Amino acid sequence: MTETLSLMGMGFIHALYPVNLLAIAAGVTIGIVIGCLPGLSAAMGVALLLPMTFSMEASTGMIMLGAIYCGAIFGGSISAILIHTPGTPASAATAIEGYQMTLKGQAGKALGTACIASFFGGLLSCISLYFFAPILGQLAMKFGSPEYFWLSIFGLTIIAGVSSKSMVKGLMSGALGLLLSTIGMDPMQGVKRFMFGQSSLYEGINVTCALIGLFSMSQALVLAEAKIRQRAQAAKFNDRMILTKSELKEIAPTIGRSWIIGNLIGILPGAGASIACFMGYNTARQFSKHKELFGHGSYEGVAGSEAANNAVTGGSLIPMLTLGIPGESVTAVLMGGLIIQGLTPGPNLFVGETAKMTYTFFAGFVLIQFFMLGIGLLGCRGFAHIARLSDAILIPSVTILCVVGSFAIHQNYVDVVIMLIFGVIGWLSRKFGLNNAAIVLALILGPIGEKGLRRSLLLSGGDPAILFSTPVCWVLIVLCVLGVLSPILMDRMTGKQQDHSS
Amino acid sequence: MKKSDIGVCIVMYGVCAFFLYMTLQLPKAAQIYPLCVIALLAGLTTLHAVNMIIGAFRTGITDGLENFKDFLPSQFVSIFLMILIYIALMPYIGFYASSVLFMTASLLFLKVKIWQIVLSETAIFVLVYCAFTLFLEVRLPSGTVWGF
Repeated sequence: MTETLSLMGMGFIHALYPVNLLAIAAGVTIGIVIGCLPGLSAAMGVALLLPMTFSMEASTGMIMLGAIYCGAIFGGSISAILIHTPGTPASAATAIEGYQMTLKGQAGKALGTACIASFFGGLLSCISLYFFAPILGQLAMKFGSPEYFWLSIFGLTIIAGVSSKSMVKGLMSGALGLLLSTIGMDPMQGVKRFMFGQSSLYEGINVTCALIGLFSMSQALVLAEAKIRQRAQAAKFNDRMILTKSELKEIAPTIGRSWIIGNLIGILPGAGASIACFMGYNTARQFSKHKELFGHGSYEGVAGSEAANNAVTGGSLIPMLTLGIPGESVTAVLMGGLIIQGLTPGPNLFVGETAKMTYTFFAGFVLIQFFMLGIGLLGCRGFAHIARLSDAILIPSVTILCVVGSFAIHQNYVDVVIMLIFGVIGWLSRKFGLNNAAIVLALILGPIGEKGLRRSLLLSGGDPAILFSTPVCWVLIVLCVLGVLSPILMDRMTGKQQDHSS
Repeated sequence: MKKSDIGVCIVMYGVCAFFLYMTLQLPKAAQIYPLCVIALLAGLTTLHAVNMIIGAFRTGITDGLENFKDFLPSQFVSIFLMILIYIALMPYIGFYASSVLFMTASLLFLKVKIWQIVLSETAIFVLVYCAFTLFLEVRLPSGTVWGF
C-alpha cells in the first residue's frame, strides 16, 4: 500500500517535468484538431503520430499518445456543436442538443458545457484507472503460458465479435490477422516463414506500419473516393463559455451518472465511446427536471453525452494495460505504442522499474484532463475554423504523414511499402465489412498466443490437456464464449440507445 | 445475401491457398501452427459462405455495394495512382521533391486554390522538417538521381 502511494506520488513528480507538460500540451492540441475534423478519428490520429514518440522516454511517449486520444474524443464535440457534424462517432449524441443550442445563440454555453463535462468525465475516469488497474495487474501475475494463450483468444473474440456488423466477418478478420502474424521467424523452430526474401520481415510485420496503414492510410483512401464537399461555416458565437454556479450544480448529477456509465463501458472490451455517449445522453434525459428542453437545446444533454464519452478513456485503458486486451481501435493503437517502447502490456507494467513509467503515465493522464479543459476553453474559436478544413487538403497531407511516419521507424523503404499494402487492406476491409481493429489486434496478440500455445504444449510433452488444466483457463474459456456471443447483446444495447435518442 | 460477400469469400480462400502452398514448403515441425491458423480462416470463410447461402434463400440477393454509393472511380483511381507514383519516385528524387510533386499534383487535381496549396504545403513541410528531421533526426531519402 505504502509502496503504491509512493509510486503514485513519484508518478506525479515525474509527470510534472517540463518535457511531459510540453508533450501533454502538444498532444491535447493535436488531438483536438484531429477530433474536430470530421473524417479523421482518434485511432487514426494516434496511429499517425505514433512514430513521433519513438525517441521519447516511454512515459512521455505514452502521455503524448494519451493526450491525443483524450483531445480527439473531446475535439469531436466542437464540430458537433458548431457545424452539426460530429468530428468522431463519440460525439454523435452531443450534436443533437449542441447544435440546437447553437441555433438558439448559445453555442458558447454548449462548448463550455462540453469542456466542463469532458474534464470531469475524464478526471473521474482516472480514479478507476488508479484503483482497478493494479488489482487486475496482480491477478494477471498468476497467469502462465496456457492462460496467456486463452487470454489472447479472448481478446480476439471480443474485439472481432463486438466491433463488426457481422460476427463471422469479425472473426474472419481476426483469423486473417493471425495468419499475417505468422510472417517472420518461427519463435520455437527458428525457421523463416513467409518472408519473401525480405530480411526486414525477420521479426514479423512491423505493427506500427500496419497500424498507420490500417487506420491512417486507409482513411486517406476513404476520403479520396468520395466527392469533396464544402463544409458548413462554423457558427460565430459571442455568449459566455463559463457556466454559472447554479448551472454547474444542475449538471453535476448528470456528470456523475455519465461517469459511471462511461467508465463501465470503457472497462468492457468492445464497447466504446460511441455507445457511451448515447447511454449518457439518454440517462441525462431520464433524470432531467427539464425533459421538455431535450431535442431543443438542453445543456444537460450535452453534459451527459460528453462526460460519458470522456469517462470511457480511463476505463478503456484498464484491460489494455493489465491484461493486454485492448477493447477498441484506439486502445489497440495505444497498445502498439507500448510495445514499440519495448514494454509488454500486462502485470509486468506494475512491478519494478516499469511501474514508475506506468504511474507517471497515470499521473500524466490526470494532468491531460486539466490541459484539455484549459486548451478547450481558450481555443474553441480557433478550433472551430480548423473544423472546416477541406478533405482535399487532408488527403495528401495525411498520405505524406503516413509515408514519413512509416519510413521513420527503421529508416527503411520496405516499411513504406508495407504501410501502403496495409492501407489498401484497411480500405478494402472497411468497404467489405471486415474489421481493421481485429486484424491489428491479431497481429499484436498472434505472437503472444502462439508462444503461449507452443510453450504449453512443449511443457506438457504435446498433451493439449494443459490448456484446460487450471480454473483460470476455464474462466477465460467461458469469457471467450461470452465474447463470441456478445454481439447479440451489443446490437440490442446500441439499437435501444439510438432509438431512445431519435 | 450480398453479392460482394462472394468476392470476400473468394479472396479469403485465395489467401488460404497461397499460405497453404508456402506452409507446405516449411519443415514439418514449423508447419503445424500456420496450418491451424489456415484451417481456422478457411473454416470461418466456409461458415460465412454457408450463412450467405442460407441468407440468399431467406432474404434474397442484394449487390451489397452500399459502401460504394458515393464512390467516384476516376477520382479514386487518379489519387491512388498519384500515391503509387509518389512512393515509387521517393527513393530516386528524394522525399521532399517527391512530396512537393505529389501534394501539388493532387491538390491541383482536387481543384484547391493556389494560395491554399502554398499554405498547406508550407505547413506540412515545416511540420515534417521540425518533427522528423530536427526532433527525431530521421534521415529522409535524399534521392539517388541528385548523387547525394
